[in-house]
Amino acid sequence: MEQQAPSLAVILLSEDLEKLHAGALVGSVASMSGMTVNVFVTMNALKSFRKDSFENADFITGTIGKEMLAKKIPLFDSLLQEGKDMGELNIYGCALAMDIMDWQEEDMIDVFDGVIGVTKFLGMTQGATVITM
Amino acid sequence: MTNVQVTKSIDARGAYCPGPLMELVKGIKTAQVGDVVEVLSTDKGSAVDIPEWVNKMGHEIAYLENEGDEFKIAVRKVK
Repeated sequence: MEQQAPSLAVILLSEDLEKLHAGALVGSVASMSGMTVNVFVTMNALKSFRKDSFENADFITGTIGKEMLAKKIPLFDSLLQEGKDMGELNIYGCALAMDIMDWQEEDMIDVFDGVIGVTKFLGMTQGATVITM
Repeated sequence: MTNVQVTKSIDARGAYCPGPLMELVKGIKTAQVGDVVEVLSTDKGSAVDIPEWVNKMGHEIAYLENEGDEFKIAVRKVK
């Protein structure tokens, strides 16, 4: 079997639905394939994880994102939850962006494992393969 | 295929990638060692992704068939 890093770090930066979905998809499949996955949600990506944004589908969408919404496919929240249910996948909100916006973890959809700073995230993902979306 | 006893069949036709794989993973997770879980899929990625996952996780493909746009993939839980 080919060598593969046992740990994956996914950094979600963007509120583009396609980027959120792609990052969540890679993370969830990695989790169910035996990798430890840590997802860091920061900057504008955090807005998409707010309950009010999510309920109103307030995302930036391109061609594929529009079609994903029209076809009502399971979105990034569902992919991330599946990754949590079927493997080891943890999701953290960025303390800096949360503080700047005065948002609380309770404002977010119920997938978060906490709000942490970059130092903590770097500590838990040392040596991991990193994907930034 | 005729010699393979399917323990559980999952109809994931119509689900987009990675839906069929996720359904299979759930099925394998709750199955006993030796059980065969079959998944039906219309997602083109499944025919490639499911064997990759099965190989990585150390299970076995019992059979992989396709008829038109439909795939039928059976996986034996090894451990």
